[in-house]
Amino acid sequence: MEIRFDPIANKSGEIIEALMSSPDMPDDEGVLFKIRLCIEEAVENIVHYAYSHEDGWIIASTQRLGDKVVISLRDAGIPFDPLAVPDPDITLPAEARQIGGLGIFLCKQMMDSVRYEYTDGCNVFTMEKKFNND
Amino acid sequence: MDVKINKVDNKFDVILTGRLDTTNADQFQKDIEILMEGENPDITLDCKDMEYTSSQGLRMFLMLQKSVNARGGKLVMKDMKPQVKEVFDITGFSNIIKII
Repeated sequence: MEIRFDPIANKSGEIIEALMSSPDMPDDEGVLFKIRLCIEEAVENIVHYAYSHEDGWIIASTQRLGDKVVISLRDAGIPFDPLAVPDPDITLPAEARQIGGLGIFLCKQMMDSVRYEYTDGCNVFTMEKKFNND
Repeated sequence: MDVKINKVDNKFDVILTGRLDTTNADQFQKDIEILMEGENPDITLDCKDMEYTSSQGLRMFLMLQKSVNARGGKLVMKDMKPQVKEVFDITGFSNIIKII
């Protein structure tokens, strides 16, 4: 399944629901919880940061490959590798914790694979989740 | 996310129901404004019907914990669903906020 969303400002909820209703998604509620969370984090990053002062588009796709689902998000915003951002220090006390930086960290932890590439003028963020390992 | 608050003096019993995500985090922040006021607040968040939180929700809980700390209060989250608890565990929030 592939859907192009344009515009994307304030459309996070719509984009997340469209991906979650893809026929490529598994049935397992626990796996779906993690997939929804990671889609939300990845979509939010693009909607809020990719296009700075103008609106833009996202091409979102899902693909079922054997026992895993592959979710890919493509945008033509500012080149930005979210995986290059250092992980938050999760041992700090509340006062020292920063607001933010947790979304992509959650994707790294909850998905089986996350990768980023910049290709043909686009950011491409891809996540994979296996079904039967939870 | 539905928020029901029962306030008796400085004690707040709060029932959270549903999903806390990017679509309703702003509303949630408004709903819990009363928890951000007053000295020595004693706040219990009943999470047994909280279905989901993303990092947007974690931001709100961190903000609340910092506010409670600054006012000499207590904050407890109780009866969290395992998959929600996992989000708190992975991000280290289980060490920041008391979960029972």
